[in-house]
Amino acid sequence: MTEHTSTTTQLPELQLDGISKSYGDNLAVRSITASIPAHKVSVIVGPSGCGKSTLLRIISGLDEPTEGTVTFEGNPVHGVPEGLAMVFQDYSRSLYPWLRVDKNVAFPLSKLPAAERDARVAEAIEAVGLKGREKLYPWQMSGGMQQRVAIARALASQPKLLLMDEPYASVDAQTRADLEDLLLKIQRKLGITVLIVTHDIDESVYLADHIIVLSTPPSVVAETIDVDLAHPRDHFSTKTHPRFVEIRGHVTQLLRHTELTGGAA
Amino acid sequence: MNLLREPYSRNRQIMLGVVGVVGSMAVAELLLRTVFTKPGLPVPSKVLLGAVGLFGDPQFWQAVGFTLVEWMLGLALATVAGVLLGGAMGASRIVRIMFELPVEAFRVLPSIALGPILVLLLGAGMLPLSITVALACVWPILLNTMYGVRGADTTAIQTARSFGVSEIGIVWRVTLPAALPFAFTGVRIAASIGLIVAVSAELLIGSGTGIGGYILSNSANAANLDLVYAATLVAGVIGVLVSLAMAALDNGLFGWKKGLAQ
Repeated sequence: MTEHTSTTTQLPELQLDGISKSYGDNLAVRSITASIPAHKVSVIVGPSGCGKSTLLRIISGLDEPTEGTVTFEGNPVHGVPEGLAMVFQDYSRSLYPWLRVDKNVAFPLSKLPAAERDARVAEAIEAVGLKGREKLYPWQMSGGMQQRVAIARALASQPKLLLMDEPYASVDAQTRADLEDLLLKIQRKLGITVLIVTHDIDESVYLADHIIVLSTPPSVVAETIDVDLAHPRDHFSTKTHPRFVEIRGHVTQLLRHTELTGGAA
Repeated sequence: MNLLREPYSRNRQIMLGVVGVVGSMAVAELLLRTVFTKPGLPVPSKVLLGAVGLFGDPQFWQAVGFTLVEWMLGLALATVAGVLLGGAMGASRIVRIMFELPVEAFRVLPSIALGPILVLLLGAGMLPLSITVALACVWPILLNTMYGVRGADTTAIQTARSFGVSEIGIVWRVTLPAALPFAFTGVRIAASIGLIVAVSAELLIGSGTGIGGYILSNSANAANLDLVYAATLVAGVIGVLVSLAMAALDNGLFGWKKGLAQ
């Protein structure tokens, strides 16, 4: 296991120390140690069934690790920490069908005074380009639009850490490209820490400042890679850049290698 | 083979419906005046005249009012009990396992059979009738609420949890709204059952009250049989109106259910 040192001088927002998770005798992830730098986009990439989602659930506090600790802003995570928001792959089940778009976005803000809540909702809806659709129900919208609502809802809660579990796996390619750019734009603007889980190598390199490559289960960290591609990125020039091609090739090889050897360990 | 058909226009549907009702009444009228002429059978024109006559009868309106109040009281009791127990059974595995067998056993009992006992315990009046109605209505409400609560989406719940919503908050803001349309479907089913049971219970233990009592007292007199049929017809029409009102309410309150079909 090689581990590149992060070039960033900032403290890690999120620290994983020896995270293991087993279900009965079935070990899903084994001894994952990784640092997620603050104010950057980190991507966990790995083959299907490698425990990426399990890891994300542990990081979010929705699930407890069998061993190891998660530290968020210096505090060990037990239960969902303050300042976290999560975007799920399955937007149609994650959004509440009985609430219109604006109420869905306002869902995490129930404790705020009405005026502040309305302002935040309007801002978040504007940021994802859904102005004028506040009064629709989610199910009256396309999949890409629904995922925008889910992203707006996460943004409205003004998270320090945004977790996304295969957020674009259920939308078409064009929508996916648009949503990837939307995410990068918002992240650059707000400077939030983003951690995305995906099986898509292209997506991981395109979005990431920092990639964590997982092996097949029981998964370990195969390698962490700093992506030094310039911002703003776009789907043509970034993806044809020799450096992009090089990193993508490297990640592909890593994943193929772990699949052939049945895990790095 | 043509499986996909354009729906008929609204006007055409209404027209076909009218043709169906008027046509079958005409056939019945013809048969009852020519072939089956035994007195006491419901000749449509006479029943209709009787129904028109009922509109001028304050005693009948009083009976209708009594039945409706009795039915609503029973339905309300059943809704409270069914939603509470069904909700608890949906939310907690322990409660569900404890009550599963008693629910299955009690729901097949004909509630009307308990009517005489209720009268014995509570005395005559509206209450034993309403309780009889409630005992028949509670099951569809209970079962639908239970399945509604159990069916609340795990992703929807985890989403709320990831936003730091408390467990009580999740029940209030996710499970409950998700289960409500199911509970209401139960109430809709129960409403029709309740009206049937209300009139039946009146026939049996009503001591002359309500539509059932009206039917019973008039059927003692052979000359009043058209009134009996007419009252039965009115009870049926009330049932249809209740059903329509419930459907409209369902659509208005839970129109978002369309979102579940995806």
